[in-house]
Amino acid sequence: MWDMPKIWVFRGLKKGILTTAYPKSQPTSEEVPTASLPPRPTDAVDWSAGERGCPTGAIDSGGKRVDLGRCVYCRLCSSAGFTFDDGSGSRAGALQAGLTGRHAAGARRIFGRSLHVMMIDVGSCNACNLEVLNLSNPYYDLSRLGIAFTNSPKHADALIVVGALNPAMVDALKMTYESMPEPKLVLSVGACAISGGIFRSAEGFVSPVGDAIPVDVVVPGCPPSPVQILEGLLLAAGRLKETGAMR
Amino acid sequence: MIPAYLISGLLFGTLALFGAGFALGLFAKKAAYVLGGVGSALGVALSLIALTSGRTVSIDLWLVNSTSHAQLQVSSLNAYFLLISSLVWLGTCLYSVRYDDDYPNSLSSLLLLTILSMVIVLVSGDAFTFLIGWESMTIASFFMILEGKGDKEGVRNAAYLFLAFGEGSSVLIMLSFAGLFSAAGTFSFMGPAARVVTPLGPWIFVTALLGFGLKMGLAPFHMSEWLPIAHSSAPSNASALLSSTLTLMGVYGIIDVVSHLGGYQLWWGWLALTVGGVSALLGALFSSVSEHSKGLPAYSTIENNGMIVVAIGVYLIATYYRLTFLADFALVAALFHAFSHSVSKASLFLLNGWMSKLRGTFDLTSANPVPAGGVRGVGAIGIFTALSLAAVPPLAGFVSEWMILEALFQSFRFGDLASQILGALVGAVVALAAGIMVVTMTKVYGFGILWPKRIAAPGEKGGGYIEGGLAYFAALIVAVGVAAPGVFYLASQAASRMLGANPYGLFVTGLLGVPAPFVILSGSPFGGFSPTFTALAFLSILMVTLAVAGAVRARPPRFGLRVRRTPGWFAGAALADDSSAMYNSFGYSTPIRVMLRFLFRTKESVVQVGPVQRTVIRSPEEYVVDLEVLDVFKKFYDVLAKWALGLSAYTSRKVMPGKLGLYIVYIMAALVFVLTYILLTAG
Amino acid sequence: MRNLERLGEKMQLSSVFQAGGLNYALISDTETNKTIISELPLTLSEEFGALLRGSGAKPGSPLVLEASGRVEGYGVFEFPYGPVSWGVPEAGAFSLMTYGERVLKVVPRLNFKKRGIERAVLGRTPEDALLFVERSAGNFSAAYSTCFAAAVEDSLGLEVPSEARWTRAVALELERIHNHLYVFGRLAEAASQNIAATQAHALRERVLRLNSRHFGHRYLFGINSIGGVSRGLPKDERRTLTTEVRLIGREFSELVQYFLSSRIFLDRLQGTAKLTRKDALGLGTVGPSARGSGVQWDDRLTFPLEPYEDIYVNLETEDGEDTMARTMVRVKEVESSTIALRELLDRMPSDGTKSGPHRRRADSLGAGFSFCRVESPSGDLIQAVQLDGGGRVGSLHVRPPSLVNWLPFARSLEGTVFTDFQFAFESFGLSFADSDR
Repeated sequence: MWDMPKIWVFRGLKKGILTTAYPKSQPTSEEVPTASLPPRPTDAVDWSAGERGCPTGAIDSGGKRVDLGRCVYCRLCSSAGFTFDDGSGSRAGALQAGLTGRHAAGARRIFGRSLHVMMIDVGSCNACNLEVLNLSNPYYDLSRLGIAFTNSPKHADALIVVGALNPAMVDALKMTYESMPEPKLVLSVGACAISGGIFRSAEGFVSPVGDAIPVDVVVPGCPPSPVQILEGLLLAAGRLKETGAMR
Repeated sequence: MIPAYLISGLLFGTLALFGAGFALGLFAKKAAYVLGGVGSALGVALSLIALTSGRTVSIDLWLVNSTSHAQLQVSSLNAYFLLISSLVWLGTCLYSVRYDDDYPNSLSSLLLLTILSMVIVLVSGDAFTFLIGWESMTIASFFMILEGKGDKEGVRNAAYLFLAFGEGSSVLIMLSFAGLFSAAGTFSFMGPAARVVTPLGPWIFVTALLGFGLKMGLAPFHMSEWLPIAHSSAPSNASALLSSTLTLMGVYGIIDVVSHLGGYQLWWGWLALTVGGVSALLGALFSSVSEHSKGLPAYSTIENNGMIVVAIGVYLIATYYRLTFLADFALVAALFHAFSHSVSKASLFLLNGWMSKLRGTFDLTSANPVPAGGVRGVGAIGIFTALSLAAVPPLAGFVSEWMILEALFQSFRFGDLASQILGALVGAVVALAAGIMVVTMTKVYGFGILWPKRIAAPGEKGGGYIEGGLAYFAALIVAVGVAAPGVFYLASQAASRMLGANPYGLFVTGLLGVPAPFVILSGSPFGGFSPTFTALAFLSILMVTLAVAGAVRARPPRFGLRVRRTPGWFAGAALADDSSAMYNSFGYSTPIRVMLRFLFRTKESVVQVGPVQRTVIRSPEEYVVDLEVLDVFKKFYDVLAKWALGLSAYTSRKVMPGKLGLYIVYIMAALVFVLTYILLTAG
Repeated sequence: MRNLERLGEKMQLSSVFQAGGLNYALISDTETNKTIISELPLTLSEEFGALLRGSGAKPGSPLVLEASGRVEGYGVFEFPYGPVSWGVPEAGAFSLMTYGERVLKVVPRLNFKKRGIERAVLGRTPEDALLFVERSAGNFSAAYSTCFAAAVEDSLGLEVPSEARWTRAVALELERIHNHLYVFGRLAEAASQNIAATQAHALRERVLRLNSRHFGHRYLFGINSIGGVSRGLPKDERRTLTTEVRLIGREFSELVQYFLSSRIFLDRLQGTAKLTRKDALGLGTVGPSARGSGVQWDDRLTFPLEPYEDIYVNLETEDGEDTMARTMVRVKEVESSTIALRELLDRMPSDGTKSGPHRRRADSLGAGFSFCRVESPSGDLIQAVQLDGGGRVGSLHVRPPSLVNWLPFARSLEGTVFTDFQFAFESFGLSFADSDR
């Protein structure tokens, strides 16, 4: 049998297009898996049992609300009547990135067409790092959106911070932030970065990232899926309304 | 018409001033340097007058034999070299007023004696005067090197090495002159005598090339590394003098001997091309891996002198094939490069000398800080020197290297295949050497001047003399580059006797809208270049950039468009305060050491010594650190030296005890040999 | 004690740790596959002294793994790398000693992200502690949680359904595949083989999506509970999973065919960053890195938890001792893992039988310690757990695979050039999150 010459380019072409349609359409249930969906109270919810059972204190029975920045998506609260997936497969309301309110006006004009992103790890378990790196695989391919990774803060428009802020990384984080040219954006990605997550009582946690440097966008999750991180980036660049619709 | 007495008056004035400086130096060194400076200025005036007038003035002193006078002579050729030298001496004297503070009075005296001897070498009209000047120049330089600071033993060795090779050069030159005498029948051949065609031509040419080449540190004598060792051990103002003007005497010697010969043979050109090409490449390579702030420029001297000899080689071959246009261009290129190299190299030695003085070491890898007061302005001035030696347009070094390369590019015009191939090969080698020099100059400027940490502590200050001297050289470098057509005119004037006519009009013209005297053509038709207009273009780009930057900064801040200073980025870590965590100049050139290990005989090893692992990376250029090297050529010289030492030890024991005696015996034996030869051939 | 003298020949020092105020050493005999535990004091080599200090380090205090002396010499300087860099996408740093270009020595600097898992879980219930343990290293989460759960179950004498143990093994193999694919992709990136890299990363994304579909989490967080798994694999899911795994395996084989005919790629790996077998044993190297230097050690065979005694797992070793050998071990392990996965899914018992405490028990370390070794994607992971009277975690010692692999990695780089760094780093599969925990 005739053997195809083994040339990478041909193989690459043969595989076709794998890339997600997001943000043109809503992400699929593959792209935002069940594990990345936030707990939602059902009718039979027991708030106080939920608060007692929650390892990170994300459930506030007094205010009857769930703080997604603290949630590590462990789903222990399902016994207290919280649900995660409505089973419809729709991910319309699944995206959770939020603005912190200090976001600069005119971000879309400055960053709307080109955004250079740098990631800094300040004490993660490596899962968030890998999900950020995954953004450049063919399934998410963030370069199609004019977003590129860079490895120097001097070239970066946006800084993705992952991990629970470690005492050994406080200075490095501040130095990195200082080295970025203005205007600049900071994304706090994952429960650890936003609130310390499961590690908020551990010795190696100093403070939420937002206490060390100003944060523009938070992306909850443990870890957030690549599409959720992408949503955070688009939000930071002013290309999404906060509801998740493309502007 | 310029009267002859004006020229001879100026000449005697110059000689007298240097002589007075020499005497005065023993008592008041600053005053001596002032005299030296005035003398140099007179020298500049004298040579400019002689060059532009084209007059040759001879002054007979006394009769040597029936056909020869001891004679002083000013012609356009030696006036050109006197011009270059005087310009260098002027800056060096200015710089020395401050630099000499740590040295005894004798240094200034010796420096002016060396200059005086060089003037005699240049204006000598006969072989005897020339040799008197040559010998006293060598001996004065020898004592000057002995004044060097640092390891006493090393300095003494360097001085004796210089003397030994200097005398070797003298012997070869005498042999060459003997040949010339037997062909011309007179010793008065240093002036504009007619060309002689003689069967002794090859003898004369080869001994001259080797003898003067030895003084210039050229291949195959570069391997002994006597030149970098000697030149870098001297006090810096003396180094500048040795490396730029003393080797310039070598260039003058070769060109002068060639100008008296006729009937060039093809292989002379090949020899010159090969010797020059090898010197240029190896000089550049060894320069790039040198960590000695004065050894590095000294190796670069070998490289540049190699380039000049390459241009002379092209001149010889082109003359052989009667390619008048190319021969003219190559000779002018050689002369031009002698000019730009001399001013740039003197400047680099003075610059590095001052920086080394501030750092307290010649080691480029050293992390010693420098007092900020001492380096203020030095970096801005020094960039011109480094750029010129790296051949960046439109500075002096670029114009002349461009000319040499253009001459080599035209080797396709040569009449035989071997010459064409050799020309192309040497062209590639010279281009490579020029490329390596960019790396080297980046290193010497980066690690020699920018890298040392500035501290606010009170320390040495230049007091205006250092900065003034360096700025003078920077201005010269820019002027030689930007006003290249003017220098081209002077070099053409100098070459006109050898070429039969002044070729200026052939090469300098206008082209493509650039007005008349501003384009230099390299052939008809071949390349063309306008240094002046390149400078103008650069200047206008700079102005536009500055204007845009100014306009942006003048606007009200919007989107954070404002200047905000942050520390450098070190991957999230704070910069360590000590040198242990800093990329140094040794690391900068290690890739070359490792890649060309066969050439440098690099040895790498890691040895465990108790709790410490010791690394050893060795290559011959580290003569400062370690002399133990594996190098076939070096080995050859080592063996030779051992034999010579053994022999002299034997003779000194048996024949003449005492070292000075040994030296005299050697000189006398050489002279006897030469005189015998003359008697045999002339009879 | 006498065993230690033969370290480096066939005895391998696997771990040193402190528990109950005593120092312990754990030695593996690579010929007889026995694990020997001995109490220290031993005269430890400098390397392991540093590791022992590291096991007790507090967050915020850096651990500098400097062994075998400082490097000095003319022109030698330190090239600091990290903690913020893109080549190593984690917080950790290195000091490279060099005189330019040539790497004379690499000193890893750890604990930039030490969270202190071992202290954080003290006094918590094992169920709570599992949340911390599985977040020690996100990419080795299944190995961590399985190891912890098995040790705790062993300590409590819990009976665990066989189905749960087999399900854990499925998760472990999926985790191995996605990590090996990651390493392969990163190596391709380092060699500027961009299509190979994107293909490997795309394949890896498919495995992650499998994880998410069948186990509920892309990185297999929350799959284990003490005494079982939180989510089983129903029969029909096993079938679809088998099909998916077969497809992925086939696609990877194709990718490997391309890889093996890609001369430029292979050239970059062959002969790069050599680690001799003697060094590999002497420094206690584990996992594919050790197997790439010919060390015959794989916990699935030498310390098998339940299903691994019953299924066929090939011990993949290579003798090349270089980056290529380590890569080939990983490539072959992806293939043997897909085969093992199919057998696991095919023969998984679903009758609810309880297998009881797993058959292979370590010697007791005293004071209720029980320990477990699991072959994580980067090698031998050891955890020793002690429960207090109330059934809460009284003491936990984790010996992460990356921690012992730092020094072999540093040794392999000695005498290479800067550009080999990335290849060595990726081929050892090192993770700062893992070693810092």
